[in-house]
Amino acid sequence: MTRRKGLVIRDKQMWLVDDILSKLREVSGSRFIALVSTSGQPITTSSAEEYPDTLSLASLAASSFAATQQLAAVLSEKEFTLLFHEGKESNLHVAQVTDQILLVITFGRETQVGKVRLYTGRAIEVLKPIFASAEDDSEGEMAIDTDYSHLADEAIDSLFADLE
Amino acid sequence: MPLINFAAREINYKIVYYGCGLCGKTTNIQYIHRKVNPEARGKLVSIATEEERTLYFDFLPLSLGTVKGMKTRFHLYTVPGQSHYNASRRLVLQGIDGVVFVADSQISRLDENVESYLNLWDNLMDQDDDLTRLGFVIQINKRDLSEIFSVEDLQELLNHTNSPQIETCALTGQGVFETLRTVCKQVIAHTGHS
Repeated sequence: MTRRKGLVIRDKQMWLVDDILSKLREVSGSRFIALVSTSGQPITTSSAEEYPDTLSLASLAASSFAATQQLAAVLSEKEFTLLFHEGKESNLHVAQVTDQILLVITFGRETQVGKVRLYTGRAIEVLKPIFASAEDDSEGEMAIDTDYSHLADEAIDSLFADLE
Repeated sequence: MPLINFAAREINYKIVYYGCGLCGKTTNIQYIHRKVNPEARGKLVSIATEEERTLYFDFLPLSLGTVKGMKTRFHLYTVPGQSHYNASRRLVLQGIDGVVFVADSQISRLDENVESYLNLWDNLMDQDDDLTRLGFVIQINKRDLSEIFSVEDLQELLNHTNSPQIETCALTGQGVFETLRTVCKQVIAHTGHS
């Protein structure tokens, strides 16, 4: 049986990624950058100001992007590789890094869309190879060992203890 | 497999509540949101129509705390139940680790239950997944109503995987947390290495 595909992020990958996101935020003049999975889970962020609700942002950005891909299919377009929302004070740009990873960027009037798109495109080219091995999840599977499963079971019982 | 982030010391699991229109998926999530300690949950996000029918999904993140040094979270989603929203359901199913199938016990909803259950299998097959490889719980909802199927009948119709099944009344909360506790444990058991 084929093992289900997962996503495992290691320390070394994250050091490289955090450095790239930080540089991207500086050169593009953006406010907040997040890497999220296409299934809607946050991976890491780089922010110059107070964090938005990253969990909601990841879920909604991934869902919007997935819907955009379906729109492409309806229009017989191979793919829409980016999503852009323009607001009065801030803008949102979502672009695909790999099959399982998206880059989410917010920026305001202090920078230009073209600048953000240009540097985002360059950053994605650097990010892609870093995540090439992230889909090899054998190490991740080992992390969820018998010990973890036992402790997680206890934590689940404790979380819901007085609620049933 | 969940998203495992060794750098952030985090493990994130995704669980989806599935079932036909008006079976009680959103009611489950809303009850969980109301009752769980606010420190253990995030914001409830709902994309619904003006008539409060789910248009895309509901989303509620739940934190289990730190387990063996890893912050562990369950991301709970619902799908839109109405049959014409299948494209949206397929998107929500991406990257899931567990499913709660919410069955409507009413005799009048037989066709809708079966159609939704088959639709779940179809959609999972399309993404090379199947329920035997996921955490899976069948919730038999609306047990407080009259003119309902027996549990045995619904088991025969919908539970050929011999998965845990729990009788509930999501409106009053009866069985809602038993369902959640069971699927969370199932998810960890199915993704673990032992």
